Amino acid sequence: MTAVTGDVEETDPGDLEVITNAIKQVGINAGSTLVGVAAADAFNEYVPEGHRPGDFLPGAQSVVVCASLGPTNAAWQSPNRRLMEITGYDFRENVSSIVVAEYIEQNHGYLAMQAPALPTSGQQPPLSMMLSAVLAGLGTRSIAANIILNPTYGIMFFAAAITTMRLTPDHQLEENVCPARSCVRMYELEGKTPCMAVCPADEGGCLDATIEDGQITSSFFDRERCSTRAMNFGIRGHIKQVEILTGIDDADERRELIYSDDFRRNMSSIGRYKESVSQCFECMRVCPVGRYRRKLQ
Amino acid sequence: MEELDWLSIKSGLLDMARKRGAEVARVGDPALLEDAEPGLRPSELLANVKSMIVLGGAAPRAAEWESTRVEVMETVGTADRMTALGSSLARHIEETYGYYAMNVPTATDQDDKAFLDFKAAAIASGAGTASLAGPVLDPDHGFLYLTVILTTMPLPADGPLEEPACPAPQCLDMWEEKGTTPCMAVCPIDDGGCIGGEIDQGLVIKRRYDAERCRDRVYHYWTPGYQAALERALDEPDSRKRKMILYGSFFTRTMWSITYSGVSQGQCFECIRACPVGSEQRALK
Repeated sequence: MTAVTGDVEETDPGDLEVITNAIKQVGINAGSTLVGVAAADAFNEYVPEGHRPGDFLPGAQSVVVCASLGPTNAAWQSPNRRLMEITGYDFRENVSSIVVAEYIEQNHGYLAMQAPALPTSGQQPPLSMMLSAVLAGLGTRSIAANIILNPTYGIMFFAAAITTMRLTPDHQLEENVCPARSCVRMYELEGKTPCMAVCPADEGGCLDATIEDGQITSSFFDRERCSTRAMNFGIRGHIKQVEILTGIDDADERRELIYSDDFRRNMSSIGRYKESVSQCFECMRVCPVGRYRRKLQ
Repeated sequence: MEELDWLSIKSGLLDMARKRGAEVARVGDPALLEDAEPGLRPSELLANVKSMIVLGGAAPRAAEWESTRVEVMETVGTADRMTALGSSLARHIEETYGYYAMNVPTATDQDDKAFLDFKAAAIASGAGTASLAGPVLDPDHGFLYLTVILTTMPLPADGPLEEPACPAPQCLDMWEEKGTTPCMAVCPIDDGGCIGGEIDQGLVIKRRYDAERCRDRVYHYWTPGYQAALERALDEPDSRKRKMILYGSFFTRTMWSITYSGVSQGQCFECIRACPVGSEQRALK
């Protein structure tokens, strides 16, 4: 077992909730808007081996999930749509999850680490932050690209810490956040929700779903199409351009591409990844969940 | 709200920024930038914008300026700190006071244009004044990295500084004696450098600046260097030479510089190294 600083304490079940809340507060103090806890074994029901907390930290007991809001409300309101394409936010949920992990190791003597969330092979993340958020009671999946919606804040960004410390897990939300009541009403009237209307799968968009009795009965999400729109600058865009470049024989034509604005924006997006995560937010822009919170003075 | 409330709110916000690392924190009137060319106006980013908060800080440390290895200054930029601070302050304004606030992206818009003229915002707010060398200079700290927060909050504006930081008294003396200043001497536009100009009655006039040449030198790693090296590699018909370019030190460094762009943005600081404004901050034991 890896040594950690401090003595490993015996956790009194009576104090567990108090300790859990204190750890959540550490995450909030470090910049998270919300912090939830999932039991490590709750993942077993949903994901295969290789994608469970214990696969990364043997003996894992809990996953502490940190959530932040991403772009400010002003960025959502900006009349310059390109601002949201490059709308720096500080990934503070990542910082927060690291602070939580350090706090647990230093103060409670249990192993803790930031959960690996970026795909290392293919498109699947080692540990799903979306699933972590759902299991920690921070939200539920939506029609809109399966984005996890929190009932109060809508879209959030997630990071997590895995620990061998047993904590009091939160309950999953009992009711689905999506579809919102106003979306159900719109669906009854028009056969679509705001997100489906703004990005309809059968008209060149990415989303489709059916709703019965206020519940999603089927949903369709064209991930490939969405990813080419939401992430048209960045690593994928650059890879595509390199592929095109290797197929061009004419040096002048290659030069034109290398020094094009599109090429530069791809490189800028890679270099300033924090400031350019995504280039399409339209399904979230029309989503009513959490929208009233985006309305300020 | 009463006028007094806005003053104390402003004071609280700027104090908070200073405690978290800003050396300079000022408020400007965004209306002063509305004459800028389309695409650079604050109201095009945030409707009903009332104030712009300009924060400056995260300059290289004194020891880094003193390092005998040039590679240190090439790879120790800390501009990310200001961006994070700006984002945090914007979020604080929205969550605490219920007014819209955004940290203006430091990355560029299409065609490599800025979203806002940070230098103009800094000057309008009094977070420094224009300089012969180019960067905005704070009279006490000299060169600082900047971040700009636009908000609909009606904060009282500080306005521009009355006295320009550049030219410094030492530079005036040098001009009178030698017809040049430290920055022009280290990077003379008529001798392969980027900076030129004259000083008349204590003011900079006829400033000349070769932006393309400066960019080539400041950013020889990073995206421009990567583009040049990639073009060279693809043009190279010999596969062994191509491999040498792609696996060579220069190409590798361009990739490092891109992925660590927050800490490796500039590879030339010579005009600022020679600048006396804020130099006392860089002189330690």
